[in-house]
Amino acid sequence: MSDESRPVPVAPPWKRDFPYEALSEEEVTRREFARYLVLGAGTIAVANVGLAVWTQLRSINAGEPRAITDAASVAVGGTFLFHYPGDDDPAILVRLSETEVVAFSQKCTHLGCVVYYDAGEERWHCPCHEGNFEVRTGAVISGPPTRPLGRIDVEVRDDGKIWALGRET
Amino acid sequence: MRASARGRRTSSAVAIYVIILVAFQVFLVTVAVEAFQTDTESLAWSTAGVSVALFVAAAAFLRYLRP
Repeated sequence: MSDESRPVPVAPPWKRDFPYEALSEEEVTRREFARYLVLGAGTIAVANVGLAVWTQLRSINAGEPRAITDAASVAVGGTFLFHYPGDDDPAILVRLSETEVVAFSQKCTHLGCVVYYDAGEERWHCPCHEGNFEVRTGAVISGPPTRPLGRIDVEVRDDGKIWALGRET
Repeated sequence: MRASARGRRTSSAVAIYVIILVAFQVFLVTVAVEAFQTDTESLAWSTAGVSVALFVAAAAFLRYLRP
């Protein structure tokens, strides 16, 4: 086949309408573009697996028993903020009577907002989406959450301190 | 000529599939973060599984993409 019979490449219509050239634009093919996309998808997939592993490891940590605070420093009806089982796990306890103390993870089971104790209604309240939880069990009363609050076993010991014994998983 | 046009259409369709799969991956990141925030391990692992499957599918589609 001679050179004369070979078809002359014709510029696509968009090239005539938009006659500007970028440096090395011919080097980026559709396949290369898609390859970069797939590379990005692989990176995201690895990140998702990492997040799953991190979520799993965090839930395995149920915590070791440790003193939280002096029982005398929390009045009846009062609350105390602490972190348990890890330093990144916010928790809250409320003293319901001289002998009864309950504690829960402060993260709402809906989208992780911080819950607080609503003394007037005697319940845990999440202000983000109006979720409400029963004060003693953490069970859902109303709102979008479907799972109870994460309960932390606590007790008042003879040394006058409130101890966290572990988080229920 | 007709076969070549069909090949270009197929190649464009594959590229669009890949773009959609990657866009879905971005959505899955938001689901994984939500699962992390709410300590929902089952959702986190499901999301990771779907994400890896989508990545494999996108990589497999590359074979059908013309240069």
